[in-house]
Amino acid sequence: MDFELTSDQEALLSAIDKLAQRFETKPTEFHGFALVSPELERELEEGQYYDVAQIPELGPLAAALAIERLARLPCTAEIALSMLLRPQLPGDWPRPFGLVENGRPGRFVASARTIVVIDGDSVSVAQPAAGEVEAVDSLLAYPMGRMKVGVELTRLSEADAGTARKWLRIALAAETSGLLQAALACAVEHLTLRKQFGRPLGAFQALRHRMAECAVLAGGVRWLALKAAGTADEADAALAAMHAQESATRIIYDVHQMLAAMGMTLEHPLHLWTYRLKALLSELGGRGGQSLAVARHCFGASAPGQPSEATH
Amino acid sequence: MDFDWDPEQRAFRATVRDFLAAHLPPDWESLAHGPASAAQSAFSKSFCGGLARAGLLVPHWPRRWGGRDADPWTAFILAEEMWEAGEPRGGQYMNVNWIGPTLMRFGTERQQERYIPQMARGETIWCQGFSEPEAGSDLASLRTRAEKHGTAYRISGQKIWTSYAGHADTCFLLARTGAGKDGISVFLLPMETPGITVRQIPSIIGEGDIHEVFLDEVTLPADALLGAEGQAWEIARTALSLERVGIPRFALATRMLHRAVETLKRAGRFGQETFAQAATARAACEAARLYSYSIIDQRRHGKTAGPEASAARYATVMAERLVSEFVVEQVPESLSGGDAMLLAHHQRAIVAGIASGAAEIQLNLIATELLKLPREPR
Repeated sequence: MDFELTSDQEALLSAIDKLAQRFETKPTEFHGFALVSPELERELEEGQYYDVAQIPELGPLAAALAIERLARLPCTAEIALSMLLRPQLPGDWPRPFGLVENGRPGRFVASARTIVVIDGDSVSVAQPAAGEVEAVDSLLAYPMGRMKVGVELTRLSEADAGTARKWLRIALAAETSGLLQAALACAVEHLTLRKQFGRPLGAFQALRHRMAECAVLAGGVRWLALKAAGTADEADAALAAMHAQESATRIIYDVHQMLAAMGMTLEHPLHLWTYRLKALLSELGGRGGQSLAVARHCFGASAPGQPSEATH
Repeated sequence: MDFDWDPEQRAFRATVRDFLAAHLPPDWESLAHGPASAAQSAFSKSFCGGLARAGLLVPHWPRRWGGRDADPWTAFILAEEMWEAGEPRGGQYMNVNWIGPTLMRFGTERQQERYIPQMARGETIWCQGFSEPEAGSDLASLRTRAEKHGTAYRISGQKIWTSYAGHADTCFLLARTGAGKDGISVFLLPMETPGITVRQIPSIIGEGDIHEVFLDEVTLPADALLGAEGQAWEIARTALSLERVGIPRFALATRMLHRAVETLKRAGRFGQETFAQAATARAACEAARLYSYSIIDQRRHGKTAGPEASAARYATVMAERLVSEFVVEQVPESLSGGDAMLLAHHQRAIVAGIASGAAEIQLNLIATELLKLPREPR
């Protein structure tokens, strides 16, 4: 048990941080939801950062650290699926990735070269041709797209589908962790600067305690995400995604409450993080889906058609 | 970053588990109910004596005092296993964690020789005389007075919520020798000293847990003073840094959650309607565990944990609450004679956010020191 980063992990994180700083500027003219940065994506490609999970000295844990850091940026790009899921799929699938669940619009679908398609219990992979996907307008702050019916799917075996779900959970948790930290930082900044009744809002205990609880939750999400990336354990992945969605549900509400009307404007960037979080809340079945996974992997609840296992 | 235990840590945990399996009596779970009952207190002395003989009571202490200078992970693995088992050390966990080490730092040679060896042998119980009727979270406002008369101190006042006082041999007592925060001193008070009255407060936590301690002109020699007059704040800060993460409550909470789930499974009641609540609680337990580990890891690397320790503590409070709520809703029969250990856990869990300092104080620290929010006006 050692929570210190290795020198390789530190070096990677430092390089990612240096890169991220160039994209840190909060947009003043952007009044939309999905702020996509092709430049960021290109830099990550050129720096071969999408392959860090496959480098033995770095591995998925380093990838999770990178995902978390990059998720704190106001802009987004397809990062987590490529970094964590792509290396775990059988075969070689080109990035960027998109995700479609049960026929709904999904993240990055319109620009993806590979789409992971979840339909009930099955997980498939597809490489859509031009015209088989389309962008959709969305309140969610990722570029959302729809896959048309009839796209040829390669269905994954049950084992590979399990692996894909596991890494999707870990990717979700790592990205959620970064988004939560950025959203909290927004709220802290506002509470520090905004004064009412002659003092900063952050000096009122009612708000301080709510923020402190949110910080504790966000910190827990981070540790669970990193652990799951480090162990690649099914139970850890399920717990990480569960805690991520559970905590995000609460924190999204609280940070918007802290920013009040200011957080409702498109001028303020808070929504760039909270409306990405909202997209992640529904993935993999939402909290109900994670509950099933935790019940199965931590408590030995039976998968359909199988006897339950005793635990602990 | 590595989330796995090394072989030595695994072996140590296995040794502690083997010891527990061999030394906890068949009726331990009933005994664990009532964290400081007469039966539990008596058992803790024989149990801790055995732990000491096996080298498992104070492995992290210096060799001079019966330890082997083991690292903070060893101490924490030990604490996890003990708490998960229902804490058979009773109040002696305080000796091991902070009272002993605090005496090593601030005690005179004579005080150390008098108190530390008996702690290392596992044969003495301490209580901490901190809270008073008018001084809880605001400890600096305590009123118990120690007045010097020649070479002796005469102490009068009242302590309250004092855990383990009913069977304690010695009290780590805070009393006022002057004005303000810098006018508080620490005394090592033998509980058989005339003038002390201990009254148990019947509580929902269980038998023997909390007490009132009345001090009526209790006379102590000058060498009962720990450190210098007015040094209590510094001494308490040291004690607190040794006890920052506190009890690894998440360990028993996790075990009890699994136990509740197994109870439901046996009854055919672990269905989808219970999954969300169980999963939320399980994730919170794991978050608390990792948070606590991160603090131990900092200590292991020679760093002093900052406000993250408060966050770890609060994460534990959240986990305890969720597990308790799960048991109340899903396995209510355990609170009506169904399962002594689930009952004992439920009774102890309620104090998670209260004992060792209110959770709201931790939230204040997190807001100020971790989030860097502006301070509240005073």
